[in-house]
Amino acid sequence: MTLSSLTKEQLLKLARDHAIVGRSRMNKAQLIDALAEVTSGPSAAPPESDPATRRERFAARLGSFIDQSRTCNWRSVEGHPCGLPVVKEHNRCTLHGGLDGRDLAIPATGTLGFDTWPTLLRHVWLASYDIDPIGLDPVVAEMLWHLVNYLYFEYFRVEVEGVENIPTSGPVLLAANHGGAALPYDAAMLTLAVTNEMPIPRRPRIMATEFFNAAPTLSHLYRKIGGVYAARSDAEFLLREGKVVGVFPEGVRAFQKPFSQAYQVQRFGRGGFITMAERYRAPVVPVAIVGSDEVHPAMFSSAVLARLVRMIWPSQRVEEMAVYLNLIPLPIRWRIRFLSPIQPSHLGRDPDPLEMLERTEHVRSHIQENLNRMLEERGSAI
Amino acid sequence: MATDVHLFELDNPEFAHFVINTEPETVIHLQTVDRSALLGGRRAHDEAVVGAQALFGAIRRCESIRHVIARSHLCVYGMGPRNPSVVQEDDELTERRSRYAKDLQTVEEFLDAAAKVRTDIDFTVLRFAPIFGRRVDNPLSRYLRLPVVPTRLGYDPRMQLISGNDAVGALVHTIDNQVAGKFNIAAPGQLFLSRILRLGKRVAQPLPRRAYDVAVRGMERAHLYLPEHIKRLVHHGMYADTRKMSDVLGFVPEQNLRETVLDGYGILAPGVKTP
Repeated sequence: MTLSSLTKEQLLKLARDHAIVGRSRMNKAQLIDALAEVTSGPSAAPPESDPATRRERFAARLGSFIDQSRTCNWRSVEGHPCGLPVVKEHNRCTLHGGLDGRDLAIPATGTLGFDTWPTLLRHVWLASYDIDPIGLDPVVAEMLWHLVNYLYFEYFRVEVEGVENIPTSGPVLLAANHGGAALPYDAAMLTLAVTNEMPIPRRPRIMATEFFNAAPTLSHLYRKIGGVYAARSDAEFLLREGKVVGVFPEGVRAFQKPFSQAYQVQRFGRGGFITMAERYRAPVVPVAIVGSDEVHPAMFSSAVLARLVRMIWPSQRVEEMAVYLNLIPLPIRWRIRFLSPIQPSHLGRDPDPLEMLERTEHVRSHIQENLNRMLEERGSAI
Repeated sequence: MATDVHLFELDNPEFAHFVINTEPETVIHLQTVDRSALLGGRRAHDEAVVGAQALFGAIRRCESIRHVIARSHLCVYGMGPRNPSVVQEDDELTERRSRYAKDLQTVEEFLDAAAKVRTDIDFTVLRFAPIFGRRVDNPLSRYLRLPVVPTRLGYDPRMQLISGNDAVGALVHTIDNQVAGKFNIAAPGQLFLSRILRLGKRVAQPLPRRAYDVAVRGMERAHLYLPEHIKRLVHHGMYADTRKMSDVLGFVPEQNLRETVLDGYGILAPGVKTP
């Protein structure tokens, strides 16, 4: 049975079953396109392989952007040479204008590793490159990238599906389910899933609650590795610049939920991310993450503990605080699935409240559906 | 061109009548410098606010005026963790502000009120980043030029600066082009305080809060008085979007931030471009 052989009424019924937004305004051809997109679904899981092979593939892809035979012609005012290899078909390295290293996550030396740290620290010392307005420091990000890769490849053994659903250029909004109870491991893993698996490694900017912005050291480190605070104007700034922005629309609520509610996607705030996506014509890519809720299984949520936290940090708005037992995260096998993007509807205006709720609910249920399926497909959690 | 100099007490309405009688075409309000170190907080506040009240009152009544420019400072946005990382000209922000920043806000409110009444006048506000240059003598420049610079442990603020030449350039450009609106004026680029100090071959000494306060008192004894808004800047840092400066006002500073820093420390000859 092909879609084109059906009548418009049958197509509309199918569209209703798949919760396609704006179906009543579509003509037959648009309905067929929209249905074809939904029913094709995410691609099959990639063949499983051991961390060593995956790492090799990853290193080869990163290295393919860099021409090791030539060095960058940048010189500091005092005459210090740059010494880094150039980006292919450019005369400069990623730090000095070969490519925007603040936009694309390509390591300056072409490889990741502790052996590159002296070279990188020299550039930090020379202050030879510019940071991003929000405070992303490509060199510090690169050094931490290498560290967190151990978690990604060896410890959590993250499997990623559907990276082809992330557009390779222009603004994108990633909306993912949140979990973790202790540390936002899912933010780190989501970032690495994009930078490690995309053919063109884009740099996602994950939005975090304002708690991170008030804490000394942590706040500035988080800025340097590419974090953003959940301020509307910052997200708008990034989308206008055509960057990838990652949001966890559930917020702290989901992060602190007890283990009994694991992988139940909570209500999505007021859905401000839909308005932003619409305003800047950014496709919304829903992301289903399995693993984050089990790293620190929370026994129960405590309101007393939350009150204590609010006494120490009055800016924190948490109402309940998860209590967990293990200090070391459990070695869960993670899976991250990028779902097919929801295109902006080109209304030319902000969506009205009802449209917004419909769309957020659509994204939420889409993630929930896929989480359930992924949990069924998954064998052992470890 | 002859220049007349008239001196007035700012909190005296006599000055407002002088403005009305002179029938100027352009008024540039530059007396928005933080003078609290010189006059004391209360007196500086009175002078800034009452002076601006008299001036904008006169502007409302004066028929000949076509263009009003007021100098402001990026600190009007307030600085701290509650602000967005990138502030825009139109943002309404709730972050805490120093007394000087509140004064500037009041001055801008007077200007907005006058703009509502006199729609035939172009009102321009230039919000300048702190000025840094080798011959500039202001608290921030003196602080950045210390051989060992005390900084807050655990904080690495993002900073914007502008050279003295570019600040004057922005003013001249605005007088020539008469564009209404509020604009952030800063050299393009962004650097952390730690990187600025490394470019200037200064040693940053991060100190925990108590020790930092002691160091600040020590600096005050050595006649380096850091006003509250500069203290907040080197604590939290900020970044103001300057795209409106280049796109709407049409002003592009000659030196980017890196060149401004290197020039200000006397490392780079003026006019030399960094690679």
